[in-house]
Amino acid sequence: MKKALVIVLVALMAFSAFASPVAEVKEEGPLKFSMYYSDNATLPFKESWLAVQEATKSVNAEIQWEIIPIADYSTKVSLALNTQTNAPDVILYQTTTGENASLALNGAIVPISDYSEWTPCWNAMVEKYGMEDDVELLKLQDGKRYYLPSLTDVPFYDGGLILREDFLKAEGFDAPKTFDDLYAILKAYKAKHPESYPLTVLAGPRVLYRMTMPSFGLSIGKNGSGGSRVLSWNYDEMKYFPAAISEEFKAYLAFFGKLYAEGLLDPEMAEPIDGSIWSRKMATGAAIATWAYYDQIGGVTAASTIEGFKLQMYPALAGPAGAHHQQKNRTGSGIMFPAATAKRADFEQIVRAVDKMFFSEENSKLWCIGVEGTTYTMDGDKIVYADNIKKAAEGIYKYMQLEYGCGSDVTQMVWVNAREMTKYDENYAQINKAVEAMGNVIQYIPPTPKFDDMEAEEAAMLMTPLADKLEVWCNAFLTGKKSLDKDWNAYVAEMKGLQIEKYCDLYNTNL
Amino acid sequence: MRRKVDAAIGKTSFSKHFQRFWQLYVMLILPVAYFIIFKYLPMFGNVLAFRRFRPGMSLYGTEWVGFRYFKMFLGDTAFWQAFRNTITLSLLNLALTFPLPIIFAVLLNEVQHWAFKKIVQTVSYMPRFISTVVVIAIMGELFSPSSGLINNLRSTFGLGPIYFMNEPEYFRPLYIFSGAWQYTGWTAIIYLASISGINSELYEAAEIDGANRFQQVFSVTLPSILPTIMVMLILEVGRLLSLGFEKILLMYTPSNSAVSDIIDTLVYRVGLANQNYSYATAIGLFSGIIGVFLVAGANALSKRLTGDGIY
Amino acid sequence: MKVKDTSTSSKIMNVIIYTVMVLSLLACLLPFVYMLALSLSTPQAIIQRKVSFWPVGWDTQAYRQIFTYPNFFRAYGNTLFYTIFGTFIALVMTILFAYPLSKTCLRGHKALTKMVVISMYFAGGMIPNYLLVSALNLTGTRLAMLIPFAINQFNLIILVNFFKALPIEIEEAALIDGLGYFRILPRIILPLSTAAIATIGLYYAVFFWNDWFNGLIYLNTRQYPVMLFLRNIVNGTMVLGNSSSASTDTASLSISVKSAVIITSTLPIIILYPFLQKYFVKGLTVGSIKG
Repeated sequence: MKKALVIVLVALMAFSAFASPVAEVKEEGPLKFSMYYSDNATLPFKESWLAVQEATKSVNAEIQWEIIPIADYSTKVSLALNTQTNAPDVILYQTTTGENASLALNGAIVPISDYSEWTPCWNAMVEKYGMEDDVELLKLQDGKRYYLPSLTDVPFYDGGLILREDFLKAEGFDAPKTFDDLYAILKAYKAKHPESYPLTVLAGPRVLYRMTMPSFGLSIGKNGSGGSRVLSWNYDEMKYFPAAISEEFKAYLAFFGKLYAEGLLDPEMAEPIDGSIWSRKMATGAAIATWAYYDQIGGVTAASTIEGFKLQMYPALAGPAGAHHQQKNRTGSGIMFPAATAKRADFEQIVRAVDKMFFSEENSKLWCIGVEGTTYTMDGDKIVYADNIKKAAEGIYKYMQLEYGCGSDVTQMVWVNAREMTKYDENYAQINKAVEAMGNVIQYIPPTPKFDDMEAEEAAMLMTPLADKLEVWCNAFLTGKKSLDKDWNAYVAEMKGLQIEKYCDLYNTNL
Repeated sequence: MRRKVDAAIGKTSFSKHFQRFWQLYVMLILPVAYFIIFKYLPMFGNVLAFRRFRPGMSLYGTEWVGFRYFKMFLGDTAFWQAFRNTITLSLLNLALTFPLPIIFAVLLNEVQHWAFKKIVQTVSYMPRFISTVVVIAIMGELFSPSSGLINNLRSTFGLGPIYFMNEPEYFRPLYIFSGAWQYTGWTAIIYLASISGINSELYEAAEIDGANRFQQVFSVTLPSILPTIMVMLILEVGRLLSLGFEKILLMYTPSNSAVSDIIDTLVYRVGLANQNYSYATAIGLFSGIIGVFLVAGANALSKRLTGDGIY
Repeated sequence: MKVKDTSTSSKIMNVIIYTVMVLSLLACLLPFVYMLALSLSTPQAIIQRKVSFWPVGWDTQAYRQIFTYPNFFRAYGNTLFYTIFGTFIALVMTILFAYPLSKTCLRGHKALTKMVVISMYFAGGMIPNYLLVSALNLTGTRLAMLIPFAINQFNLIILVNFFKALPIEIEEAALIDGLGYFRILPRIILPLSTAAIATIGLYYAVFFWNDWFNGLIYLNTRQYPVMLFLRNIVNGTMVLGNSSSASTDTASLSISVKSAVIITSTLPIIILYPFLQKYFVKGLTVGSIKG
């Protein structure tokens, strides 16, 4: 009896071994894969979102969404890519900077540029907006690109200097064009309200620095563009310079140090303020000026009880280096595939599906404005949003994010300025037009050097003490604890002692 | 409690020993196996401190680099400042907050109104449940230079505002005070449990000897929970180098960085944020070794002074 | 119970004690009351600083927002599962370890104790632990939250200490009666140690209840505990790194939602404790020497 059983078992096994290839070829049904999504508590992911449903349907896929809180996203991605266990098939919202560059070069990520026949939709979008040069910059040392970036035709001005327009009008001020204009406005407010600190900043000094420093010819600090923390890009000479010890930085500190000394700059902005505290300062008139994002204005206005309260956003102010805003690139965070995904038999199908899901003409519209007939209708060439959207208290943009999943920077991969403007009010569109007319307000982000592992480690080891020193001294100069006249040279000497010049050379030789 | 019987008989052979205690050894099988698998196996990961780590390649490093990373941090002045900050803050913290739960537990035990006692005890450990993020946020509000309660009070007396959360001199007091507030009631639970196990006959005997309540505390309560106190103390001493990293990170500002940077935050910034896991592991190993020495020292001292220790 | 002592020194002591206790009570209670008030107030009132210890403009919107957060209730169920089973497993393992370890006459007891203590200082770090758990095929399963954390050395040592403090006569009496350790432990030792076990049980329960980091690295979305979601809400702004997009700068929910999160996540554990209190009874109970 036992022997018979064994024979039957073996026969069955043999049968299934032969039978399965036939069965596989015929396999139909939805494509199944898993995807990491970076979740933000202000916009929690809903699988029922219209955009998600339609996009998934359009590629006949069944996606297992792994929803990860934004604060822990990089940890989880790092874990998945480093250990190659329990990794998803697709990861959203990533670039190849920092550790990802090393991971890519060491084979943990799929070099998607090798598979460009499988990403026709993305290729078409790149061509449509003339972004071949921009995506070339994303290639690493080995000449390959490891992710499908999001694409923007024209970077837009979504945040900047925000002022109380009612105060300006009441005092007869014109819209400020330079930093000195701003100074006059702040002084006038302080004279009227001595206990106030007219200029405050949402989310701490990093927003202030990255939005205002470019007008002084530099961009350093934790969110300085380029990620070097102490170096900046010279747009004329096309190379890095040690901005942290430059005259431009000294001028910057002089201006803002003056604001601080005269009680015009909020002392609490030394560290990130909670959003609600910032709201409160603006709403109650404890501050009248800030650098923040346009879609914050509505919430603050609603909370204010001051009569005639009106906030307005202004184009970038002109400093010694011209009028510039935070640098932005036309490419943004995008989609990458862990190496394990390439081992799947249906890898090609997954790549094609992901490509179509986010970059096809119809889907790129879907992720932005939704479904025709449901969220909008076309009036000739104009987009007309549905009534419930137009009337929403949060504004069209926010409402579409919350209700339909449209306009999230995790899933929307194609950003067309003109189309985006339709979601904001006239005011916003006008401001953006004004900014565009000024020309070269938003410069490109400097290129990342192509380091190998050893150089990357060396750069990182040099960077941390320099960045720490910068933070301490910047704060000291700003708050007046150290004097620019007397202590600047000591500061420069310390930074040189920490090898800032060697660090700069390291960057420049590896471009 | 020591079994003096064995000492009297003399060393027995192992098989006899086993016969007597085999049940205890059987009990140990599961936990010890667990320990080896889940606590000791991962320790091999520490080998990374001596090898270079490349993201995407072997997680145990790709080549031996000896003491490279140790030399790196041992020669770094920022490390030694962080080290000094860690020790100073820890010792201060220990000295000030260690006695508090004991005092609290003893006092609470003396409360005779049963309902009140229960209420206080239950409420006392609530602060522990407020996440550190919130505690720091509340402190930020309370001590804010522009809108905080404390500075508002100062202004009514004509004093200028102090930005407490930014000034280096206030960092340590604020850190210690918030820690005490959060954990006193919680840690007191252990001491209360210990006190509840004290034989009431001991109190009666003391009373008969003429001790009043105050004296009873010193003659009965405290000595009875001394073993617990010593164990807690030894454990705390061993943890001298591992302060609450999250809290420091939240309280850290460039202005107070000279006193607020500790080993863990340094490791975070230099090691983890730069994905230099080897560096981070090397420092962790270094701290671990020091911790072991501290515990051994504290244990030996405790044994000498009170006859009792952890081992 | 102690005889009531009404001497002057006792009265002074009473005054001191009660003052300290009332102050402690207020210090501990007020922040919670404040947060409860915040969680039920309108955002406008909060911005205008009208809220102190009573809600202004009764508004349950914060709680509604939390409850409609996708998967919130499933996550709560997950947390309950991890807490209950995790604590149970942990207690069993810890007791089984602590009891033999408390017998100083046992051969190997010193070595084992040293082994425990040393392991407190040399942990492997996140990645080796992760590798181990995935090698055991536990990642993506709920067991990953229970098994790797079954014994906490700190709690273990506390329990060992309690066992050591128990009067040895009771055990000796039982041994003479012919009971083996297998029976002494549950029948005699455990009933005497309810205070200690309740204590470390509470400590374990709180650990499992609050654990989000292990949930993050080992679990998939469906298995997330509720703390992971709530952390997202409270820590929205704590993105440490080079973020430079609007979504991370403005990622902070109103204070009312954050406060509601605190209340929702801590209330159950706080309510648990009073029920544990009855286990902190004083003195010996059954089968003492006198009997």
